[in-house]
Amino acid sequence: MAHAAAVPRKSPVPKPPPARARRSRTGAVPRRLPYLLIAPAGLLMLGFIAYPVLSVFYYSLRHHNPTKPWRNGFAGLGNFVTALTGDPQFLPTLGFSLRWVAAQVALQLLLGLGLALLVHQSFVGRAPARALVFSPWAVSGVLTSTIWLLLYNSQTGVTRYLADLGMGSYGTSWLSDTGTVFPAVVVAELWRGVPFFAILILADLQSVPRDLYEAAEVDGAGRLRRFLHITLPHLKDAIILSTLLRAVWEFNNVDLLYTLTGGGPAGETTTLPLRIASIAVDSHDFGYASALTTVAFVILLFGSLVYLRLSKFGGEAR
Amino acid sequence: MTRTGTTHRITRGGPGPAPTPRGRHGSRAALAAALAAVLALTATACGDDGSGAGGDRGAEGTGKGEITFWDNNGGVRTDVWKEIIARFEKAHPDIHVKYVGIPAESAQSKYDTAIQGGGLPDVGGVQTAMLAGIAAQGALEPLDERLEGSPLDGKLNGSMLDSVRSAGGGDRLYTVPTSANNGTLWYRTDLFRAAGLAAPTTWDRFYAAADRLTDGARNRFGFTLRGGEGSIAPALDAMYGQSGITSFWKTSAGGATTTTVNDPRNVAALEKYLGLYGKDTPEADVNNDFRKMVAQWDSGRIGMLSHNLGSYQEHLKALGPRRFRGLPNPALADGTRVQVSNPVDGLGLFRSSKNKAAAWTFIEFALSHAANSRWNRAAGAIPANTEAVGDSWVRESEATALAADALGDGSTRIVQLPYYLPDWNTVSKADNEPNLQKVLLGRESAKDFLDTLADQLDKARAEWDEQRG
Repeated sequence: MAHAAAVPRKSPVPKPPPARARRSRTGAVPRRLPYLLIAPAGLLMLGFIAYPVLSVFYYSLRHHNPTKPWRNGFAGLGNFVTALTGDPQFLPTLGFSLRWVAAQVALQLLLGLGLALLVHQSFVGRAPARALVFSPWAVSGVLTSTIWLLLYNSQTGVTRYLADLGMGSYGTSWLSDTGTVFPAVVVAELWRGVPFFAILILADLQSVPRDLYEAAEVDGAGRLRRFLHITLPHLKDAIILSTLLRAVWEFNNVDLLYTLTGGGPAGETTTLPLRIASIAVDSHDFGYASALTTVAFVILLFGSLVYLRLSKFGGEAR
Repeated sequence: MTRTGTTHRITRGGPGPAPTPRGRHGSRAALAAALAAVLALTATACGDDGSGAGGDRGAEGTGKGEITFWDNNGGVRTDVWKEIIARFEKAHPDIHVKYVGIPAESAQSKYDTAIQGGGLPDVGGVQTAMLAGIAAQGALEPLDERLEGSPLDGKLNGSMLDSVRSAGGGDRLYTVPTSANNGTLWYRTDLFRAAGLAAPTTWDRFYAAADRLTDGARNRFGFTLRGGEGSIAPALDAMYGQSGITSFWKTSAGGATTTTVNDPRNVAALEKYLGLYGKDTPEADVNNDFRKMVAQWDSGRIGMLSHNLGSYQEHLKALGPRRFRGLPNPALADGTRVQVSNPVDGLGLFRSSKNKAAAWTFIEFALSHAANSRWNRAAGAIPANTEAVGDSWVRESEATALAADALGDGSTRIVQLPYYLPDWNTVSKADNEPNLQKVLLGRESAKDFLDTLADQLDKARAEWDEQRG
């Protein structure tokens, strides 16, 4: 066809418009037009995603505190060294974040899977049961926090009524006891997070071909074998993706913990993002906060890559 | 497929002719236009309301037109500010005030963001606790000269002016104070009467009442304290109040300035105060921020609460006017009362304002006798305008009147907290609120806590002094 493009000059057929101009026009516009069309979106993404991310990397290498301008300047890896050697709160908050993510993702997945299997069955009242299961997902974060604050309040909550029944003491709250605060906040977040898994898994369950179950049943496979050999493999990619997304969201969770405990008592429920927020907002130390954010970013990035690799996400499709 | 593919090869491959000058020009123009459009969109998206970032110098302006006002306690004070703004616009029809209410919790971060990225208002409410940080970033206009030439000169409370000067980090006035708060011991008059207790005017009476009113088996507690967010200042207030130490800093014979927070008398006082936790207070108090603490007291089962005047309206709604009173913090047995400085609210004029003349006119109006009186009456706080302090409502609001007397009659010694230190928030919030909770939970001693606090404060002070030369 390259030859064909050069031929028209010698053709006896009616003379076409000058080849140079036509090639130029047809060549230039289609090639650049898509780029022009996506340029606005691309530039906006650069502005609103790439720029903030890059600026965090930049500030992580600097001392930057607007209230202490005399200290501002290049820090190299100093902020990262401070995190590892000079900040007694860094490792405990990171440790709590990882414990929080592991507990939340594992329990949300198990409970979400169980609920999805339950409401996937045919029974009378299935529609309202599904609505009930999914309803916490529709409740705003602020309202969720308020509901659980009241449930855990020492005067209006569960412990007050247990004390009325002679179980426990008045004036206590599961959020103020270092022995109970972790399970208490885990339960509150589960209430909000389980429907996420239930919705995704139920959607995927509905796409499993029924004839697979019928064939397995004919072959004598019981419920457990059908679940292990048909349902779970079919749900694999959905589970991998949803657990990954949820892990990232839970790692970055701030609102519920901040409202319920403020990271306390005594830092027992302070996640790394809560610590970062405190350093940036209370201390104005944006350089150090950026360094901690970079650490969190790297942990999430490599954690995600390793998880996807080990779980062979999308492997069967390939 | 082939035609397009062929054309691509010709254009890229060089053998084909180059685009005509007109075609190249046209595509570049299209690209430039697209870029310009995107940049314009971006600029609009990131744009501000006409005011700039912290470094902008602004302009005096015409004294007319629109100004933007940020209320740093939006929601709670919105109604009274809108009322004052309506009166102002009636008196100054050439000036329109755009009101923006910002929740108190996010005021600091909102200002910080605007200082860095633009969008500061012309006038904003700035409390002393955040004043040093904002002033250090060069965002506020010094107001000394404007005040000297104003009808307000000589009519504002001197100690409040000193507080905001001190909080601003030096001798300059960066906000005009509008009101002061004061540490107040709220107590349930009905419970005290039923138990035959005298008003908790001294620390001895306070501790006796806390013990007497506590009956854990019946869900009754003598006191509720603040163990969560914002816990350090109330703890220091109780500590200095009992120790009787009247200065936050002391200078040794060698000339070194160090803090008094870990003075043995303060250590003993803090041990005694925090010893109430779990004994005469609910154990849930360890996570109390002020909202939880106030809500808990307003539930009606607790005898006393230490908070400032700002929660008066909430107590009034929950308990009615006859079941509680508010007193200035307890005094020592000899009658001496020592309190730490409470935040002073003020109005700042932002340096980036393009209409400083109009902004100052609004500040003058807000600080006038009538407007300042109206605002403080709604807030239950002590007016900065000395004429407003004499208004009848101040006398009728007992807690406010007692607080105004305590601050104004010389009977109370004020320990000025170092709000001006750039590290004050780091030390008093991020680093040590969890440590105070450790003391409450018995994981750390009060002495270790105060020694750590003192070490950090001394370093912060030394760095500040070094920078100021």
